[in-house]
Amino acid sequence: MKNASGRSAGPPFFVSDWNHSKFPITLLGHSLTYPTKSISYSAKHQNYEVTKGTDMMKRATLTAAGLILGTVPAFAATKGEVLTTYADIAHAGYEDSLTTAQALNDAVEALIASPSEDTLAAARAAWVAAREPYQQTEVYRFGNPIVDDWEGKVNAWPLDEGLIDYVDESYGGATDENPFAAVNVIANPQLTIAGQEVDASSITPELIADTLNEADGIESNVARGYHAIEFLLWGQDLNGTDAGAGDRPYSDFAQGDDCTNGNCDRRVDYLEASMDLLISDLEEMVAAWGQGGEAREAVMANEDAGIIAILTGMGSLSYGEQAGERMRLGLMLNDPEEEHDCFSDNTHRSHYNDGLGVQNVYLGSYTRVDGTVVEGPSLSDLVAEANADLDAEMKEKLDTTMTAMTAISDAAENGMAVDQMLAPGNEEGEKLMMDAIDGLIDQTATIERIVADLGLEAIEFEGSDSLDNPNAVFQ
Amino acid sequence: MRHLIYAAALIATPAVAGVEEAVNDYILPHLAAFTEAAEVLDDAAQESCEAEGLVGPYNAAFDGWMAVADVRLGPSEQGALSLSFWPDKRGFTERTLADLISNKDPVVEDQAAFEEISIAARGFFALERMLYDSQFNDYAEGDYACTLVRALTRDVVDQATALQAQWNDFAPLLLDPGSAGNTTYLDEAEAQRAIYTQILSALEFTKDTRLGRPLGEVARARPTRAEAWRSGRSLTQSVLATEAAVGLAEALADWELPETRAALDAVREQAETITDPSFQNIGDLMKRLDVEILQQKIDAVENAVEVEVGTRYGITPGFNSSDGD
Repeated sequence: MKNASGRSAGPPFFVSDWNHSKFPITLLGHSLTYPTKSISYSAKHQNYEVTKGTDMMKRATLTAAGLILGTVPAFAATKGEVLTTYADIAHAGYEDSLTTAQALNDAVEALIASPSEDTLAAARAAWVAAREPYQQTEVYRFGNPIVDDWEGKVNAWPLDEGLIDYVDESYGGATDENPFAAVNVIANPQLTIAGQEVDASSITPELIADTLNEADGIESNVARGYHAIEFLLWGQDLNGTDAGAGDRPYSDFAQGDDCTNGNCDRRVDYLEASMDLLISDLEEMVAAWGQGGEAREAVMANEDAGIIAILTGMGSLSYGEQAGERMRLGLMLNDPEEEHDCFSDNTHRSHYNDGLGVQNVYLGSYTRVDGTVVEGPSLSDLVAEANADLDAEMKEKLDTTMTAMTAISDAAENGMAVDQMLAPGNEEGEKLMMDAIDGLIDQTATIERIVADLGLEAIEFEGSDSLDNPNAVFQ
Repeated sequence: MRHLIYAAALIATPAVAGVEEAVNDYILPHLAAFTEAAEVLDDAAQESCEAEGLVGPYNAAFDGWMAVADVRLGPSEQGALSLSFWPDKRGFTERTLADLISNKDPVVEDQAAFEEISIAARGFFALERMLYDSQFNDYAEGDYACTLVRALTRDVVDQATALQAQWNDFAPLLLDPGSAGNTTYLDEAEAQRAIYTQILSALEFTKDTRLGRPLGEVARARPTRAEAWRSGRSLTQSVLATEAAVGLAEALADWELPETRAALDAVREQAETITDPSFQNIGDLMKRLDVEILQQKIDAVENAVEVEVGTRYGITPGFNSSDGD
């Protein structure tokens, strides 16, 4: 899994480059500013890695100097510029999600054309690679209704996978909440859902989107998106809280007598249809954040509301969603399926990239899958101008969280997957998870402080511009 | 989904008051009262585990818990989850209890080990299944299920006691913001906002989740998604949660809250019209309407608190634990 990930922004590369210390002055600045342990990795470091020009060195040095003095902002950022950076990072993130999904589609087509251990492994690696940029965009969800309304189509979770394909006997059947938890569309061309006869003889994107997904209004009927595709590529992880991910045989996609577990032709149709949907869904979001796109326009329409959208996204993802729903709840339920990528055991990267996304939007810098950097005036710059101490506190807490996320990711890649961390009595795993949870909660408190701090400014400016002098807004 | 509203002005905060009353006159005494009610339940269970006799003390203990159930602050942030794990969207409680029972898991003999099991099989919702669900409640003295019920009630007491102790340690952070070493609350406004956030989140959770989940869509009500429907507590849960939020708001404010009070009275009045406290009849449009009106009345309480407490103090809510999906 590790060498197959195809990731370009993972910590090991940067940590080693960073330690070779191309920019000793900057390193000095950081070491004075942050506790040593948090130097290991932060999104900022990526900038230095990929932008080696003299200007960047100057800027990096200035930034470090600013951090030392605690007074000099790196940029004199305006809110409009900060929002432009925010929208640009969104656009780049969704574009990277799209291109990596297209690469996944190529790998899936190769698997279908010629099912083998190798083509299945390549498709799985492409899925893992596609998750890297996508998870970094999750920070856009909660502050932007356009994203939040859409994201259920691509990243809904958790799912009752028995809706889609065969499952192990231990899975059980229908539940109180979901009578369709074990419908198995791939094996059943004729279905009854909520009293309606459904003709599933042909598995199309329309059938998945309009009939199966959230069938009968039940959230866990997730028929589309990354996790449906993940289930098709890996199958159920039947190892509980022991080592090992899903282990679907490649022959599940073979035709004729080689087909295992039945209905391979329908399984292939399902996989292709769900890939078509994923790509068209991502195209929609790339367009929404492009020039003139509705998500970009919405965030730019009112500068203060736009800044609040950034902070709302950071805080809601950090606290309620990630620390609470995805990490703490799984830990307290001790349930191996309560992990975000439960079939592939890639959850450590989802957690890591969610955290990184929060850091990206704060620092106004995103390293693309090709290694280039999208960056500009940032929320950090804006906060630093008003309150340099608060900006330093935010950066330090984001770093602390990322150190904890890195530890989870490293532990997983060294053999302790997140589902194993959730096992009752795994104290080491619990500590790894709790450190990240505590970091996320702690950074949320600082996000609240920033809201309060900027709130004062915002009201003052807005009051003078639009209320006291209505004409000012047209000037 | 409703997100944080930061649009209101953050004005300079007057000398902050109310946090002390909220902690010392509301949260801590209610935690103590809950512990007492939990002890009564456990005493009864240790004497006789049979379901019928435990219904009274179970409801009294659950009522006690509801006074502080939605304060998800400090130690309660995690502690509340293992006392009342709900909503249970994937049927964990039923499955985990069934597994314990069919395996006759010896974990019920060891309270320290019991504390480590899945939260889905602990606290009030696990007990509700054991006492009310015909799949589980047909047991007698000497059965595994009887020992399980005793482990559950003992565990509720242990949790209540621990929570109370943890709150005694945590309270000084709220009461003395900005003091040396207190990085949790840097000033009085932060302490105040922390409590204010709990009040508004409790009202939102009641409206959107306690009532919103069973209401579903007009053409498709979901009565079995109602909170604690098996014990017929669904309506009680919403009323008690609203009363608790108002109680905390009154403690936090240094003045009377006439509109909030009136709005709470309207909630109680509307609750009287609801004929099935477990909401199992909301498939009937007229019955459904009664619950929808209750939802609106709770929304009015939230608006009143925002005006009478939030605006007057100049505070807006922070992030809450249900901001996610």
